[in-house]
Parts: sequence; C-alpha cells; structure tokens
Amino acid sequence: MNHTLILSWVTFVYFASFVLYLFRLIIGKEVWGRLASLLAWAGLIAQTIALILRWKNSYDLGMGHVPLANLYESMIFFAWTIILIYLIIEWRTKSRIIGVFIVPIAFLAMAYASIAPDISNRIEPLIPALQSNWLTSHVVTCFMGYAAFTIAFGCGLIYLLKNKEKGLEKPAGFSAKLPDFATLDTLIYQSITLGFVFLTIGIMTGSVWAHYAWGSYWSWDPKETWSLITWLVYAILLHSRYVRGWRGKRMAILAIIGFGCVLFTYLGVNYLPGLHSYLKA
Amino acid sequence: MSIEKHSLWSFFSSVKLTITLLVLIVLLFIAGTFISSPDVVETFADHLSPGAGKVFLFLGLSDLYHSSLFYILLTLLSLNLIICSINRFPAIWRQYNAPYFPEPDGIFDNLPQGRIITADKEVGKIKPIVESCLKKNYGRISEIEELRGHLFYAQRGRFSVFGVYIIHLSILIMIAGAVIGSVFGLAADINIKEGESVNVANLTKSNGLYKLDFSIRCDKFTVEFYKDGTPKTYRSDLSFIKNGQVERQGTLLVNHPLAFEGLRIYQSTYGIAPEIKAIVTYTNAGKKDGSMTLAAGDTFYLPQSKARGFVLRVEENIMQIGPAVKLRIVSQKKDVQFWVFQNLDQIVVANPDLLTKMPLFNPGLFQPFVFSLKRLEQTYYTGLHLVCDPGVPLVALGGLLMVLGLIIVFFIPYQRLWVFMKPKDAKISISIAGRSNRNNQQLQKKIDYLCKRINEEIKA
Repeated sequence: MNHTLILSWVTFVYFASFVLYLFRLIIGKEVWGRLASLLAWAGLIAQTIALILRWKNSYDLGMGHVPLANLYESMIFFAWTIILIYLIIEWRTKSRIIGVFIVPIAFLAMAYASIAPDISNRIEPLIPALQSNWLTSHVVTCFMGYAAFTIAFGCGLIYLLKNKEKGLEKPAGFSAKLPDFATLDTLIYQSITLGFVFLTIGIMTGSVWAHYAWGSYWSWDPKETWSLITWLVYAILLHSRYVRGWRGKRMAILAIIGFGCVLFTYLGVNYLPGLHSYLKA
Repeated sequence: MSIEKHSLWSFFSSVKLTITLLVLIVLLFIAGTFISSPDVVETFADHLSPGAGKVFLFLGLSDLYHSSLFYILLTLLSLNLIICSINRFPAIWRQYNAPYFPEPDGIFDNLPQGRIITADKEVGKIKPIVESCLKKNYGRISEIEELRGHLFYAQRGRFSVFGVYIIHLSILIMIAGAVIGSVFGLAADINIKEGESVNVANLTKSNGLYKLDFSIRCDKFTVEFYKDGTPKTYRSDLSFIKNGQVERQGTLLVNHPLAFEGLRIYQSTYGIAPEIKAIVTYTNAGKKDGSMTLAAGDTFYLPQSKARGFVLRVEENIMQIGPAVKLRIVSQKKDVQFWVFQNLDQIVVANPDLLTKMPLFNPGLFQPFVFSLKRLEQTYYTGLHLVCDPGVPLVALGGLLMVLGLIIVFFIPYQRLWVFMKPKDAKISISIAGRSNRNNQQLQKKIDYLCKRINEEIKA
C-alpha cells in the first residue's frame, strides 16, 4: 500500500478523533472519549507504518534516508510526535480532557503538509550537507521538544479559556468540564521541562553536526539563533517560576509566547536567508 | 564604600537582573536575525545624525552577534550567574546537610488516613518490617530512639540540590570555550585547483593571509549528481605535503572533515577553474605510445626524439568546428606548430585534402608522432575551510554538563522521608510523611506505595 494514501487517511483519522474528543467534552459520556483515544492510537500506528514504508521507499529509489529530510517529512513527523507524547500523557494521567485541544494541532500539521501548495511530498535525495548520522538524532530530539511545547501551548490555551470564565456566576457548563487550574499548571510545567530537555539536546546535536559539516559549532544562522531565542524564552519562564514563583495565568501566557517562538524557529525562519534554507519547500 | 559595594553585590545577585538580561539578549537576537545586512544599519544611522553613526559603530549594530553591546550583556550575565551562585551557596549547602532529626515541625500533623498504619503486634516484630521496606526503596536509612517513640529517616536524590549549579557552571564553561575559540581560534579558506598545491590560506574573518607549515595538494575533485540534478557528493582527494614529502593522503567529503597538524579541514565549496584540461594521446610510428592531461601553458617531453612540447592554446570550440589544442614541438632539428582537433575525422570527410593544403591542421606534422585530442575536461577547484578551535572541548564539556544538570534538576527530586513509630493504646501507630523539593506528586505516590507494602508485610 502506498504511504501517501495511508497518510491522507491518517489525517482524516486524526480529525475524526478530534471530533470524538469534542463529543466527549460536550455530551460528557466517556464512551466517546474511549473511541477518540482508540482512533488516535490507530492513527499513530498507521502513521508509523506509513513512515517506515516511506523510509523503505526511499531506499528503493536509490537515495535511502530517514523520512526527516524536508519540510513535508518534518511536518508529518511533527504530527507524529505530538500524538505520541499526547497519548503517553493521556495514558499516564488517565485524563482525556486535553485531547480536544492537542489532537487538532496534529491534524492541522498533517493537513498543512498535504495541502500547502509550496510543500512537495515527493521523496527527495539528500544533498551532501544532510548526509550525516546526526540528521536523525538532531531532527528527532528537536521535534520531540517542539511536540512537548505544543502540549504546553494547548494546556496554556485551556487555562486562559477557563480563566476567562472564572469570574462568571455559573462556572458550570463548558468551563466546568475543563481540568482544574492546578492540573493544567502542572501539565504546562511538566511538558515544558520535557520540551526544554529535548530542545537542549536538539540544539547540542545540531551543534555537533554543524561542527562536522561546516567546521563551526555555531554560525549565527537565523535558525540557530531562533532556536536559542526559544530556549532563552523557556529559560526565562522556568526561572520566573522557580525564583519568582510565577504560576497559573502567567505560565500559560509564557507557554503561548514560547510556542510562538517554536513556530517561528520551525517555519518563520525559512523566510530569512540562512544555512538551513534546504527546509524551504 | 562598604554600602556601595554591598548594593553593587545585591544588584548582581538579583534574579530580576538575570531575567532582564535574558530578555535583552533575546531582543538583541531577534534584531540580529532581521538585520542581515550592515548597509541597512549604516543608512539608518546616517539618516539620524552624523554622531549616531559613531555610536552605532561602537555598539557594533551592524554585526550584533559580535558587537560590544552583546559582549557587555554576556559579561553582565556571567557576573550575575557567578554572584548568584556564590550568594545562594550557603543555603544550598544547608539544604544538602540538613539534619535528619528531629523531623520538620508539624510534619506528622493532619496526615491523611492512609498515612497512619496501626498494628497490634509488638515493636520487636514491626520494626524489622518497616526497616526492610524502607531499605528496599531507599537504600541506607537512619534511625533514632526517642522517648516519644522510634523515628526512621530515608532520603533519595540529595545531590540534586546541586543540579542548578551544574547547569550554571556548564553555561560559564561554554562561554569560556567560546571566548577561547574566538581569541585563539583560526578559520581560513583556501581554494586549490586540481593538481595544484597551496600553502597560503585567506583568513575568514579578515583580509589577512595565513601561511601553513605544509602545503595541500588537490589531486582530484569530483562532484556527483542524482538523476534529478541534486548534488550527491562533493569529494576532494587531497595530499598533505611537508618538506617535499607526502605525509598523508585522504579523501575529504562534506560531513567528514580531515585533520592534519592540529587543523581540521572541511569541504566547503567548489568551482570551475578558468582553464580547461585536454586529454591528448599520441602514437609513435603507428604504435600507441602515450596519454597526457594538458592545460594551456603546460610543457611535456617526448623522450623518444628528445623533443619538448608546449601547449599554446586549448580551445573549446575553434572556428565552429569543435574543441582543439595548439601544440608546438621543438627538437634539435625541427620547430613546428599545429592544431589537434577532436573531430578531425569528420573535418577530413568534409574537406578531403585539408591536411595536405593546411599543414597547420595536421596532427602528424611532427613525424613519426601523431597526436589526437580525446576530450576536453573542466578543471575544478576545491574550496576548503580550515579550522583550529581550541575552545571546542570546553564547549562540548559544557554541553554534556548542561544535559546532565537538566536531567538532575527536572527528573531527580530530592526526597526526604520520615517514619515515626509510637506505642498507642497497646497498639503501635506508624506515621509516614515526606518532603520533596519538586514533583511532590511523585513523592506522595511513593509514600502511598510504601504504606501499602508495610501494611501487607504486617498482615502477612
């Protein structure tokens, strides 16, 4: 079976899973949630198979490389890591509530990868600079980090949404079904620590790679600089939490700002000139 | 004086300063990624006033990452880090050496139901059970016999209080590595044509030259493409020559640098040199005799007739009839010049009496040799990047320490646990309570598990 076909189905499956999470939230019956999780797991497994097929396919085409080499492949992998980390959190916390905010992000990434006119889904050969064993570890750790920050962003959104309704007379209804503030705060903090460790390792593997490829572990390329900006923004967040005791709403806002930096590092930077320009579709 | 010093000290030991500096650095980086060309800044400064230009120049706004502004911020941040670390050390040390006994005030007050176990067995039987359960989960334990009862203490991850120090130290180490690299490091570029050896490189950051203790010869440069035209391989076959001896030969690929005499050599670029190489073969009295790769200006020697040859011209397309080389051959008896065409056969078919009419076009003019041009080849030059960065080991060490520190800080909490056994109405009550510097949830789960185990063991 063709991996592109599987990936289009997976996009659809993630959307269906999101709709079911929404049903669960609105109707309040756990059966919808169970179905939603089931679909998300099915999607993840199918996507894993599709990624392996694409990998194999690249060997058949005589340019064998991991499917992490261009914008399309990174986008698909981004969606994969988001779902993976989300499902682990769902399994660990035994709570399905944040799924309704996280799964659609994975769906959007998948949809954007296949719909955006300037993203080609063809398997492309690796240029010499990318032919390195560091490619996999660099990309995997970076995207694990991005995905964890995405979870923090989703929880931050929920926090602000819930916070808006806090003053209202009847906190029942939609807001009451959202997780409580303490849980959200913990989730934001824990995803950010996870993301921070992955981003740190991602930047380091990138540095090692740059040391071997370009002869310098740091070249102030816009993508490098923006990854450092993202790292610093989350470092500021962590310090204000540890030392100044910032919690709740401020954390939520910083998590959203941090995610903005992640997106700019990932996508926005491609519009600036630099060494990472092969990621341009 | 002392007050001033004190206030300066407290200024540098504040976390507000850290956060302010980090925000400023972030803003500088953002500006840096958008101001890509120095011209933009200069034009902007000129618009403001003639003085602004000087200020801008001093702050180095045209190259923010190497500007005095950035170095000042980095110095302040390093000072801030060091002073914060010194300032906080006594508290951390106290935390590390906190006494086990007595337990923190009120730690056993208001414990939830599950955290107090009552057993009606005697102390002598209960104590080993509690002890072994604690030991299994925490390793070494301490205990103290008091009038009010028996107190156990266990801990885990005590060293994690130093995790923050490891991270901050790692940042200072990396900054030190970067400074060492920029002061003592070397980066230079060198372009070498195939067949040529070079021992002078251009410094990357300035216009200066750097003389190497050895020379590098490019034996061959190869570029390969995929079917769709994407470059697949850039490869330079290099020889390192010292005192006229080839000391080392190696193949240089992107992502696979070579090292020689403390320098790392990287494949950075390539290009096509202006001159073209001609692959020329010749026969001697009808027998195949030799093959040569020649460029314009080269000379060669024909030992069989003690003649010397000169390559006068190498042309890609002369007179619209294709590639040709013009040779001059000088021996004791003769001095001739003639063209050697690659497509001679076709030319002769079109003009059958060409060779007799125009001896200049006869590749066999220097008898008994007959030359022929097999093909022309482009000469490549390879662009090498030479680096020596003595700061790299420090930066790498800093990176490793940082990851280690982050893992300790985020994932290894400092957990302390007290278990208090006291007789109560002919029974024994066991209370369990704990403290954790972070991730309290995990500790609570652990205590729940411990309570469950002790309960089970007592019943058994």
